[in-house]
Amino acid sequence: MKKTLVLVLTAVMLLSCLSFATAEEFNWKAYEGTTIQVAFVEHTTSNAIASKIADFTELTGINVEYSITPEANYFDKVNAALSTRTGTLDLFMSGAYQLWDYSAAGYVEDLTPWLENTIPDYDFEDLVQSAVNALKWDGVPGHAVGTGAQLGLPLCFELYSLAYNKRAFEENGLEVPTTYEELLEVCDALKEWNGPGSYALAIRGARDWGTIHPGYMSTFTNFGAKDFEIVDNKLVSRLDSEEAIAMTEFWVEVIKRGGAPSWSKYTWYEAGADLGAGKAAMLFDADNNGITQNWIKDGVPASAEAGNIAWAVMPVAAEGDTPYSNYWTWSMAMNANSDAKEAAWLFLQYFTSKDFASYASITEYNMDPIRTSVWEDPAFLAKMEQHEGYIDTFNATIGSTSILFTPQPEFFVTTTEWAATLQDIVMGQYDSVEEAMKTLAAKVNEAVEYIDLSDYE
Amino acid sequence: MSQTTDFKKAQSAASQRKSLQRLGFIGRNLALICFATFALFPIIWMITCTFKSDAEMYNTVFRFTPTLNNYKEVLVGTDYFKAFFQNLIVAGGAVLVTMIAGVPAAYGLARYNFKNKEDIAFQILSFKFAPEILVILPVFLIFQKIGLYDTYFGLIWVYQLITMPLVIWVVRGYFEDISVEIEQAAQLDGYRWYEIFLKVLLPLVKPGLVASGLLAFIYAWNSFTFPLILSGFKIQTITITSLRYIASDSVHYGQVAVAATVAIIPEIIACLFIQKHLVRGLSFGAVKG
Repeated sequence: MKKTLVLVLTAVMLLSCLSFATAEEFNWKAYEGTTIQVAFVEHTTSNAIASKIADFTELTGINVEYSITPEANYFDKVNAALSTRTGTLDLFMSGAYQLWDYSAAGYVEDLTPWLENTIPDYDFEDLVQSAVNALKWDGVPGHAVGTGAQLGLPLCFELYSLAYNKRAFEENGLEVPTTYEELLEVCDALKEWNGPGSYALAIRGARDWGTIHPGYMSTFTNFGAKDFEIVDNKLVSRLDSEEAIAMTEFWVEVIKRGGAPSWSKYTWYEAGADLGAGKAAMLFDADNNGITQNWIKDGVPASAEAGNIAWAVMPVAAEGDTPYSNYWTWSMAMNANSDAKEAAWLFLQYFTSKDFASYASITEYNMDPIRTSVWEDPAFLAKMEQHEGYIDTFNATIGSTSILFTPQPEFFVTTTEWAATLQDIVMGQYDSVEEAMKTLAAKVNEAVEYIDLSDYE
Repeated sequence: MSQTTDFKKAQSAASQRKSLQRLGFIGRNLALICFATFALFPIIWMITCTFKSDAEMYNTVFRFTPTLNNYKEVLVGTDYFKAFFQNLIVAGGAVLVTMIAGVPAAYGLARYNFKNKEDIAFQILSFKFAPEILVILPVFLIFQKIGLYDTYFGLIWVYQLITMPLVIWVVRGYFEDISVEIEQAAQLDGYRWYEIFLKVLLPLVKPGLVASGLLAFIYAWNSFTFPLILSGFKIQTITITSLRYIASDSVHYGQVAVAATVAIIPEIIACLFIQKHLVRGLSFGAVKG
């Protein structure tokens, strides 16, 4: 018995030494003196990373030059830098949709082989796998995300849910809607709930792709609709299907009965700001959009309604139905033409590591965290307690969250056309939703007509 | 009796005139105040926003609890001033280069007749026609190749597309207004060519120089697309930095307002300094026609 114990203890000690030696052997300074350039979009994640770049440089000896650009202009800058193929830009932030374009043009490094050689304690499996999978694509139009090249690693993500003003519901004796029918009823009941100009539901309406991808696309899928199908090696739009028409009719009804008077110019920040200002009683958008309005940091409220906002799962057809949510991930991708890929890979791992994810979301305000360990961290859970229902809503939705669009190279063209059609329907430029969706489907088919899937075999 | 009545009438008329004058004075000033308020309202609004917290930004107009937090967030411990001075170097440098190269060019185009003169002048003007976004990609490629990307020199150079045509075309008109006899008279007085240019012509075109220089500075100071694409890692201008407060978490309008308020200070100072030079017509009447 004693002998066995000694043997076990010796083995444990040897194994510990071995793992210690492995960690020790990792040479953080292997690329000392290298300079990398990183493009960030203005974001809470970028601010968290920027605050730790000096630490990274001290650890690795790698110099980091970075730029932080507002989202409205960010992709112009990245497009220009990537399209020159000069490789001076080593890493850049991107969403999955943009990566479909960039990877098709050969700008994006497949990180799959790089992931075989990670820093100690990286623990790839701890990354929220649905976010990781959202950034995988095999490059074939029509094929869903989740397989193929790893185009980036997530920095944060968002899923879509209903944020609401508790005060609005309490004062009017209303229940938070769980079904479409209830949502419409609540829209009527919350008209001018907080005085003239206030309204029930803030959703995006601007004439761009951003209007389609949050609440609309999630509800579109929950109605059983699809954007494309593959027929005879061609992508065929299904925006004129019965489900798509029924869903759009419902959505238009929601806008008319509960939306903002100037809905057609609403992007994420107008919608979020209205919830915070007490103009909107509900917000169907990114879960973290409402969070930014609800913080009370050091006693200072982020908005007029800070502290009154809570979260619920998005409405579905019938109680108990699975709430399918679309996904947005801000990720970091590597330029395929980078001259300093090894140094860039170190940077990418450092800023997607457990330690950094914990710092970014617990000390800083990066939402939603990309590490399962952070979601389970009591410190994070305690921090999020002030946002009632946020964690529960996340847990109820994350399992059915994925990118609901069909990946294809004309994504921005087709979704912008889609948003324009939605605006036109609301403004009464079509006799019926059916007519509008049939016209839209024809336009979309025209845009993707040149794509022949047999070319990808 | 009638004298007294006349005197009273005159007095009353004088007092009526005075009242009317006073009313006119008040009316004029009221109208001016109204106009000034109308003209300055965007600036007043912007400055008001700098003192509003995010929480009070949307639901109050002039009744709010003033805070200096926005100033603290933007000005303390950030790289806002770095961007401010970098912008000053780039915009100031661009205008300086434009003045040094553009004013003689404008003189040449105004005074000398040479082949394709108008074509060259039009070519210079046409630099302003193309939207920046249209030419940015080739410029970006060239800058990457020759090492001008993200450098002061590169930005100052490319800003010439904005500032040079403006200065050349405005100042050319001023040179054309000056009678050639003035130069001949100076020659007779023994001035050398460069003395004529510096001591006689430049003072006469000063209003044009000042006006076009100021406009060129404002355009360069406010340029967005060129610094967005052609710099950002080592050099970041104020136009790009100011938008940083339209963040992903929220749009911090108070902070945007602070950034914009501070950013317009150099332009206001420049306007105030050169206001007295903005006088047209110095050369009028110098020579009898």
